[in-house]
Amino acid sequence: MARKDFLDVGSLDREEIIRLLDQAVPFKELFTRSVKKVPALKGKTVLMLFYEPSTRTLSSFEVAAKRLSADVTVFDVPHSSVTKGESVRDTIDTLQAMRADYIVVRHRLSGQPAAIARQTGASVINAGDGAHAHPTQALLDAFTLREVYPQMEGKKVLITGDILHSRVARSTSMILEKLGVEVAFCGPGSLVPQTSYRRFTNYDEAMKWGPDVLYLLRVQKERMDADFFPNDREYHNVYGVTERRLEEIKDRGIYIMHPGPINRGVELCDAVLDYDRCLISQQVENGIAARMSVLYNLKPQIS
Amino acid sequence: MNQVLNQSAISAAISRLADQILANRPEGLIDLIGIRSRGDEVAERVADSLRERGAEVRLGVLDISLYRDDLAHLSSNPNLQGSEIPFAIDESRIILVDDVLFTGRTIRAAFDALFDYGRPRSVELAVLIDRGHRELPISPHYVGETLETERLDHVIVNLLKTDGVDVVEIKKHS
Amino acid sequence: MNLFLQGGEVATEDRPPFRSDVWIVDGVIKAVEVMDVPEGAEVIDCSGQVILPGMFDAHVHFREPGQEQKETIFDGTEAAINGGVTGVVMMPNTSPAIDSPVMVQRVLDLGEKCRIPVLTSACITVGRRGREMAPLAGLKKAGVLMLTDDGDAVPDAALLKRSMEYASEFDMFFASHCEDPQLAGPRALNEGAVSYRLGIQGTPALAEEICMDRDIRIAHATQTHLHIQHVSTALGMETIRWWKERGARLTAEVAPHHLMFRDEDIGDYDTHYKMNPPLRTAEDNAALLQGLKEGVFDLIATDHAPHTEFEKSQAFVDAPNGLTGLDTALVSLFDRFVVSGEFGWDLIVKRYSAEPRRLMRVEVAEVSVGKSADLVVFDPQKETTFTKEFMKSKSSNTPFLNKTLRGSVEMVVLGREVLFQR
Repeated sequence: MARKDFLDVGSLDREEIIRLLDQAVPFKELFTRSVKKVPALKGKTVLMLFYEPSTRTLSSFEVAAKRLSADVTVFDVPHSSVTKGESVRDTIDTLQAMRADYIVVRHRLSGQPAAIARQTGASVINAGDGAHAHPTQALLDAFTLREVYPQMEGKKVLITGDILHSRVARSTSMILEKLGVEVAFCGPGSLVPQTSYRRFTNYDEAMKWGPDVLYLLRVQKERMDADFFPNDREYHNVYGVTERRLEEIKDRGIYIMHPGPINRGVELCDAVLDYDRCLISQQVENGIAARMSVLYNLKPQIS
Repeated sequence: MNQVLNQSAISAAISRLADQILANRPEGLIDLIGIRSRGDEVAERVADSLRERGAEVRLGVLDISLYRDDLAHLSSNPNLQGSEIPFAIDESRIILVDDVLFTGRTIRAAFDALFDYGRPRSVELAVLIDRGHRELPISPHYVGETLETERLDHVIVNLLKTDGVDVVEIKKHS
Repeated sequence: MNLFLQGGEVATEDRPPFRSDVWIVDGVIKAVEVMDVPEGAEVIDCSGQVILPGMFDAHVHFREPGQEQKETIFDGTEAAINGGVTGVVMMPNTSPAIDSPVMVQRVLDLGEKCRIPVLTSACITVGRRGREMAPLAGLKKAGVLMLTDDGDAVPDAALLKRSMEYASEFDMFFASHCEDPQLAGPRALNEGAVSYRLGIQGTPALAEEICMDRDIRIAHATQTHLHIQHVSTALGMETIRWWKERGARLTAEVAPHHLMFRDEDIGDYDTHYKMNPPLRTAEDNAALLQGLKEGVFDLIATDHAPHTEFEKSQAFVDAPNGLTGLDTALVSLFDRFVVSGEFGWDLIVKRYSAEPRRLMRVEVAEVSVGKSADLVVFDPQKETTFTKEFMKSKSSNTPFLNKTLRGSVEMVVLGREVLFQR
């Protein structure tokens, strides 16, 4: 019995995650065909409900849905982060009228996609809610990592940056942990909370831990309403991948990942993008396959 | 449960398919594409048989899950294993291979899948078992064995590599 | 009126319940002893049941005037009666706030129409805006004893100090909602593993403790009686204990939900577990319970905070804080703590009936000869299912919604009136 919704990594067990990853492989293979579409979701409607702006995730989902031959509708919602009273109930009523089979939701408030999922028979996919979860990002990250390390158990991934406000940090750390990867966090003390993962506030100490992968988070300026650290330049010097640090990374063959969009000169220097073990573009490419796998494996419960 | 084909009967059917195909392809250049699942094992065994007879065989596998016409009615979608066609479809003379031909819907889905890979010069169909009851205008070119069945019977095919044993059984609809 | 409650046990604040009948004539308790049925009396079979003095809740929100869709004063008092509560103190964060003698009179007049006495607190600052002092003398004259900006702390320490100095003349006391506004964040939940998992900025226990320190010191320096409301943290409670040991004029209350629930209960963004101060941890639950048993807390108060279903179905951060408590408190305290032997009826009578009345300087209700009848009959053998229909509050935002708990409030008598009998 397929699940209806894809809301977070916490509700997935290891077998299910591996299955989703395995199923993403044939979808990736389709990219090499001239006909990239398959009719699996023909006649189905996928609704994009993005309350927060995002070109990359939105278009990634759109391409995934269209390649499955679904009809895609992008619902125009107000992007004002000040709008209160966007009650879940009001949204649901609108959605029922549109008869969507799948709804992809991105919202600034943690828990909104789950609230919507509870009130509709459509399959709800969380494209990012507040600081809570971004499960499709986690899936494509795991998929990308598995491409370079087919045996992931025991590998070490250091997630660096603004952990506190990052749904990517939460979801990706959780999926990697479920797959046997050792995860640690690194960043300014004011941005790295106490969690069950190892915590570093010093870059050199973190590097001594011996990470195989550096996962860099975007420094979330728009989510911070108060300064958690003095300025970008200081962040880059203390925690960013500077050109000097890149040399060491290259020597050790450490892979670099980033969910995008990148802040040049903050999390990383420009040279990182030319490094052959920088997996950022693979992540983007794998995003479509991962999202196709998710859409294919969900079943709406519409009577 | 009624056992209708044992191991040697199955092997004989595979041989028969190889003979029929070779008879139609005297030049001995054959492109086989097996339909997952079990059609792929049949294709593999036919390919082995053909190679023993000196033919040159290119082998591919087609996963038609994404093309089925009944996906919307399933409570969960079939596990995808992906297709693998290591040669160019364009201008090839393809022989699709499946274990059982029944209503013909699987083959229809296989056409859609195959044609999204390219434009073959021709497509023929080889099946280990033809059990009748067609619902679409599809007929096989090469048949290993024909079985008399009722519409509601279940034909259960087990093959060595996929299921650990070679046997075909019919479960009568009660 | 001639009632004979036969076969039950009477509960008091200083000893375990004892077997006794209770005879009430014309609203006055005529006898509390095992006796024969008096002639002409209506017999109420109370075998196996406990007879308690009426409960008194010193912290309720009745939303009138301004948000009557959530609760009115009348509905709130009916919820109280339903839960065995025969007296309440309302909080002043209505719309407009209760910050003037006129507003006090308005709500007390509305209270007159209810079946139980209704008292009210009033604001320390005008409109609860924290900028200018409310007319404290006038408020006292209108009948107010408790001053609080509940819902918020007074942000300006100097203003709080001046208000306390001024109010000392009028023999009023202050009650504090302790919360440092700069540390509070979106006021959604406790800062900890749960807030991390849910991806919502939490409020650290620190925010409450810092403000508690501040208010206690200001009150101590101005020799003002300070009452700390809805304490939720173990360390905060320790601060209270420390100051009490040093003789500060300090009282404190704890709410049933801070004894029973923790932040993990929020689960998947369930707003029934969202209130301010937020639910903390299991360690806090245990420490607060222990503090209640040791007398660090003077009283139990529910902080009854009704909200409509629509509001509570908003996203977690947007949904308003609070849960109802009047319908459920007595039964839930019994179910959770008396059944398991954590504490007995004497604690409940002391902390949810006697001490709250002492705080408000009203006569303590007692089941004793000569006293006016003000009592509750409780059946430990029956069960209560808190459906919307059963609860009398206009709102049903409680984690006990549709849950069944052990114990039942069977009857409430106030003066000559039997307020209800199930």
